[in-house]
Amino acid sequence: MSTSTATLADYRRRTYTNRLGLWLFIFSDAFVFAGLFVSRFYLYGANFRPELSQEVGLLVTAVLGLSSYFAYRGDVAMRFGDTKAYFRNTMITMVLGVLFLIGVVGVEWQIAPHGPDESALWSLFYTMTGFHAFHVLTGVLFLGIVYRNARKGIYDAERHWPVEAAAIYWHFIDVVWFFFYAALYLIGVPPL
Amino acid sequence: MELEEKKKMAYRIGDTVLILLVALTAGEYFIGKYAPYWWAPLLAIALLKAFFVVRDFMHIGRLFAGEEEEVH
Repeated sequence: MSTSTATLADYRRRTYTNRLGLWLFIFSDAFVFAGLFVSRFYLYGANFRPELSQEVGLLVTAVLGLSSYFAYRGDVAMRFGDTKAYFRNTMITMVLGVLFLIGVVGVEWQIAPHGPDESALWSLFYTMTGFHAFHVLTGVLFLGIVYRNARKGIYDAERHWPVEAAAIYWHFIDVVWFFFYAALYLIGVPPL
Repeated sequence: MELEEKKKMAYRIGDTVLILLVALTAGEYFIGKYAPYWWAPLLAIALLKAFFVVRDFMHIGRLFAGEEEEVH
């Protein structure tokens, strides 16, 4: 066995352990989001939802979904050694992530009819979207750090665990939003 | 399978998932707009979307692959 083969086998073994660790983190984090999701139904029930613009909700959901698609393409590109495509797709992912943040914090929070201090219901709305937005922000930072490292040429088709990890984390944020979108924008009607 | 073929296949999976997500999101939007009390179908759609992303984008299957298995 040559030295490079031994090192690659070692890298794959470490990656497997890293992957387990990342998924453990994701499951733990998912429980926090699940707690917020359940609280929404405890406070509003299934007949009511906050008075939010469904169009804004659809728009930010589309932006985040599209960003997940480009994150996947970036991951695939790196997996097959196409660094140019990785850079392009990851840059698009980060831009869409920032647009999502602007949509939620810069638009939705500004046009929402109530503030976080007005009722438990609205406090929960800001907690859910704020906690999620913070994950989006950290996801953009994570993608940015990996992007910067990739620029230095430290990843290739065989060794690129951070690229995969950043993409998985990004998709997780997207998955959480699927449920928050339905819970906050679709299920029930605004109270009169 | 040739590497180039595998790459094309991987991109194709991404395109398919995107189309599914667009269709499901459009569907849930209209349910939310015109039948907002149908909470069960809306949650089912969210679950279905999550399933596709977790399986195809997050590669949850790799968790069950061997330690030194290649992931192409």
